[in-house]
Amino acid sequence: MMVGYLLMLISSIFFLGIVNRIKSIASGRKGSSVLQPFRDVLKLFKKGAVYSETSSLLFRVAPTVAIVAVLTSMLVVPFAGGNAVFSFSGDFVFFAYMLALGRFTMIIAALDTGSSFEGMGANRETLYGLLVEPAFFVMMGVLAMITGLTSFTEIFKAFNTIGDYSLLLGLLFSYLVILIAMVENSRLPVDDPKTHLELTMVHEVMILDNSGFDLGLIHLTTFLKFGLYSMILTNLLVPPTWAIGYQVVCFTAVVAVFSVLVGLLESFRARNKMGKNPPYLLTLTALGLLGLIVALLIIQKIA
Amino acid sequence: MNISFLLSAAFLPLFSFILPKGRHFAITITTQLLVAFISIAGVFTAYSGVSLFDSHFGIGGDLNIVPDAISGFFILIINLVCLLTTAYSQGYLAPYFSTKGKTEMALHALSLVWLQVSMILVVTLKDGFGFLASWEAMTISSFILVMFEANKRETFKVGISYLMQMHVGFFFILAGFVMAYGKTKVFGFEALTEYFALNSNVPLFLIFFVGFGLKAGFVPLHTWLPNAHPAAPSHVSAVMSGVMIKMGLYGLVRVLCSIQSSFFEIGIILLSVSLLTSIWGVVSAIVQKDLKKVLAYSSIENIGIVGIGLGLGFLGIHTGFSSLSYCGFAGAILHILNHAIFKPLLFMGAGSVYAATHTRNMNELGGLSHKMPYTTTLFIIGSISICGLPPFNGFISELVIYLGMFQNLAGQSLREIIMLISSSMLLALVGGLAIFAFSKAVGIAFLGAPRKPLDNVKEAGPWMLMPQLVLVLLIVLIGIFPKLFLNAIAPAIDMFPLVGNGQVAVEPMLASLGEVSWISLTFFLGIAVVLFIRSKAQQDVVISQGPTWGCGYTAVGSEQQYTSTSYSDSFVSLAKPIVKVSKEFEPLEECDFFPQQGSFKTGSNDLFEDMVTVHPTNRLAKLIKRAAILQTGYVQHYVLYALLFILSILVLTYFKLL
Amino acid sequence: MNIVIIVLFGVTLMYVSVAERFDTYVKLVAIQGILLFFLAFSELSGSKDMASLVFVVTETLVFKAIAVPLLLRSIIKKMRVAKVHTKALPAFYSLLLVLFAMGVSVVLADMLKIGRIEKTFMIAALFTVFTGLILVIAHKKIFPHLVGFLVLENGVFMFSLAVGSEMPFLVNSGILLDLFASVLILGLFASRIGKRLNDPNVEELSTLKD
Repeated sequence: MMVGYLLMLISSIFFLGIVNRIKSIASGRKGSSVLQPFRDVLKLFKKGAVYSETSSLLFRVAPTVAIVAVLTSMLVVPFAGGNAVFSFSGDFVFFAYMLALGRFTMIIAALDTGSSFEGMGANRETLYGLLVEPAFFVMMGVLAMITGLTSFTEIFKAFNTIGDYSLLLGLLFSYLVILIAMVENSRLPVDDPKTHLELTMVHEVMILDNSGFDLGLIHLTTFLKFGLYSMILTNLLVPPTWAIGYQVVCFTAVVAVFSVLVGLLESFRARNKMGKNPPYLLTLTALGLLGLIVALLIIQKIA
Repeated sequence: MNISFLLSAAFLPLFSFILPKGRHFAITITTQLLVAFISIAGVFTAYSGVSLFDSHFGIGGDLNIVPDAISGFFILIINLVCLLTTAYSQGYLAPYFSTKGKTEMALHALSLVWLQVSMILVVTLKDGFGFLASWEAMTISSFILVMFEANKRETFKVGISYLMQMHVGFFFILAGFVMAYGKTKVFGFEALTEYFALNSNVPLFLIFFVGFGLKAGFVPLHTWLPNAHPAAPSHVSAVMSGVMIKMGLYGLVRVLCSIQSSFFEIGIILLSVSLLTSIWGVVSAIVQKDLKKVLAYSSIENIGIVGIGLGLGFLGIHTGFSSLSYCGFAGAILHILNHAIFKPLLFMGAGSVYAATHTRNMNELGGLSHKMPYTTTLFIIGSISICGLPPFNGFISELVIYLGMFQNLAGQSLREIIMLISSSMLLALVGGLAIFAFSKAVGIAFLGAPRKPLDNVKEAGPWMLMPQLVLVLLIVLIGIFPKLFLNAIAPAIDMFPLVGNGQVAVEPMLASLGEVSWISLTFFLGIAVVLFIRSKAQQDVVISQGPTWGCGYTAVGSEQQYTSTSYSDSFVSLAKPIVKVSKEFEPLEECDFFPQQGSFKTGSNDLFEDMVTVHPTNRLAKLIKRAAILQTGYVQHYVLYALLFILSILVLTYFKLL
Repeated sequence: MNIVIIVLFGVTLMYVSVAERFDTYVKLVAIQGILLFFLAFSELSGSKDMASLVFVVTETLVFKAIAVPLLLRSIIKKMRVAKVHTKALPAFYSLLLVLFAMGVSVVLADMLKIGRIEKTFMIAALFTVFTGLILVIAHKKIFPHLVGFLVLENGVFMFSLAVGSEMPFLVNSGILLDLFASVLILGLFASRIGKRLNDPNVEELSTLKD
């Protein structure tokens, strides 16, 4: 139970470090250590802060709400065919909406500063967030349809990935989860975390005015979300019947492969033109619907 | 409860015609409390079997009505919202005392009480005449309330249009009752069960759907809503949006409880119309720049969500899945309750803003978080719950509807699977769109820097804040302890035509909701812990304040912020075919050395309003103008008409045609 | 195994509806040709007819996957533009239409109660045909219309595979139709029309009416 939660926390420490290292190596540099982003966060926790005069109490509370929202949604994700800390029917709905709560608070906090940069980031973030929600729900709907169960714990216990066409479905949905994770964490090709100008970004511009402890919390939130999605990926790809030792090894492998993939993707792919992002996000829902048709074929509703 | 008690209590506000303006509020609130007491006593009697009044107190058996579970549920909501909004009006109407006469204020007070009484009668009386009479009383009293500021031309037009559209709906409901009377010789809701058992269900259902849907605000019959709500004073909009449109839903629910066959067709009709309604409502809400119009369109969206629950319930009856039917109906009833709580809260907040700044245009607001901190916080909590986000109550009703959808996917046929999955997808989309609309409403209107100077803006008075606080308390309670409320409304859900024993389906849902309580409490605990760590960490460091970072620009002004039009622009570019956003401006000349005066105006028109209301009425007006040739103005011609009429009657009787 | 290929085919169809660069179109058409080759191979490897198997295999691999993309590339070289600049329908809505077409093809294939057809192929074939038509509707330039026509051809080919177990000769006739129409249209474009009309709007062709 708690093993999964601790694994998510630990993997989040290293994830972004590996991504940055891969990006540096791909550009021909040696790159900083894998623990550097986490060390930066710890340094931020000790720093003072400057708050904008235009902002109100909401601005000071929002990063706290965002990180607690992610921590609470992590409570419903299981590991290795075991139970999550909390598990109830419909908990994936709670998961999605809890993450949406975190996003909503960050968006209105961004509008609280009265800066045009943050307004731009806020309205793009809302638009992309709303286009990603249906994709997630279609995926969970398909999983609920195949297994007949409605909670993360029970679905992943019953979603056997060996035999039948479950492996195909698992791969398709892993691809979908990777893309959703990239959009939610504001990475390429939807958003570019490197630059800090208003033309190229969505998430980075929303946090321009945060500093000190709050900025550390925001960076931690991004790390945690990566750990969270890696756990979901592991649950989709690895059968629940394997021993727990193998599961931990597989989880580490998934985290490593995912972070290397993210690093390579960021090094070799340009960001989408801003106007092209909505159709790009619609392709996520399209993939989900494709998975629906494959699932319908598997359970013999068609043919 | 005794109807005569209610009716006699309702005549008390007539005293306000002779008393000074300051006393009106006291009379209104006392009368409303009395009415609430009588009706809630009636509900209590029905629920527990214990009678609070002696039965020989009443005048006759006919006037003593025992409300059933659905009526009881609606009575509780009506009383709650009416009392709170009247309390709010004490602060809201205070600036109007100097401009309005005593008669106007007295009429307003009388209408407030009559609105409450007529709504209670609407949900209690099942007899056709009584129902229709109270329905008409409700329309007239709300019309008087909407026309409070009838000196403004816009309000006047909107009020008349509202009255006309409500009577179109009244006509449809009357037609439905008459149809049922023709077959069963009973005039009222009791006729419906008998009628539906013997005749085809769908046509009569459609007639009632149009009639009640006009009141509720289903698309394309919603065109009165976005105009009437901004025109009315805020406490009236709160009552209208919170409970009056639920009266349409009440009528629909009564009709649905009597349906005996064609469950699939009715379910599909309900589901598709409601999906269209919610998507249309929230998409239109995103492009509005009037704060109250955003809330009005969002009411339309939530009515759509209730309709989705009802449609899914019927699909569950058709397929025989008891969990789908129970969760669908439970989600619908719970969402009616939730919406009646957070919508008045939001309208009260918007009313406080209007009272302080005298503008509803979001492009001119902003920066209110410093001058009106309590209103801002309350409005933020209201928007979080209307977007359906945990840990507040909006999430609970959406969770129940989702549970209905997802728990019943296995073992269905292809048609139902496609319907369930596409409804879940569209409901998720509606949730995301609602986040867009409300982040705009909160962020642009309340937060940021002031776009126009806010010198005279003060925080709202205690009479305006207390009702909002009560509603927020309810929001948090329902969000953290949903099981209590679901058990309380279970008798109302049992009145629907469920599949089998509702108990089997309710267990997993209650278990789920119990866990939700625990995880919500964990969430609040987590926030407390992190805030504590944060305060400890920030104790020894320097915290300072400075201007917002402006990328090196030194002359950053508040006009450079995002306005509501620019915030929704990214969405409008996507949804251009459906929302008609108009831009009127004079283009700049080619060779213009010195810029001339220019103007730029954006606005949005409702597509359905043009199609359904404006064009048909214009055509009708043209047609009727042709009949105006008979109106010549000469008395001789009119007497000639009367003579011709008498002659024709004589001829027809002679030939035995009459 | 067939399902994997059909899923990949569906993915290419979705990308073809949002693609803008002509090179992307050519790549997607080539990928579709290769996928059809695998599909045809796995479908017809069971039958004993060596000749038709060799015929089908060469047709799909050589013609669809190699010759047609090469022809398309030569057309692109003759045109001065390399991507679609104006569309009749924005990318978002054409993708929405493609998703809707996917749902419609699933429901249609479910409703058909004909003999022993392979339902998966029927769904894929209907979906491909609809996507080809949507491509033609959504664009103003001639090149996407060409690509839409080619996608339509692939759909027709899939139809013949779907009923292949009933009428094996139909597969051969389907391929011959493919060859004929593609050679005609593409060859015409590559040699004659491509030189004269440099990336015109299809609406200009309406001047030819009457």
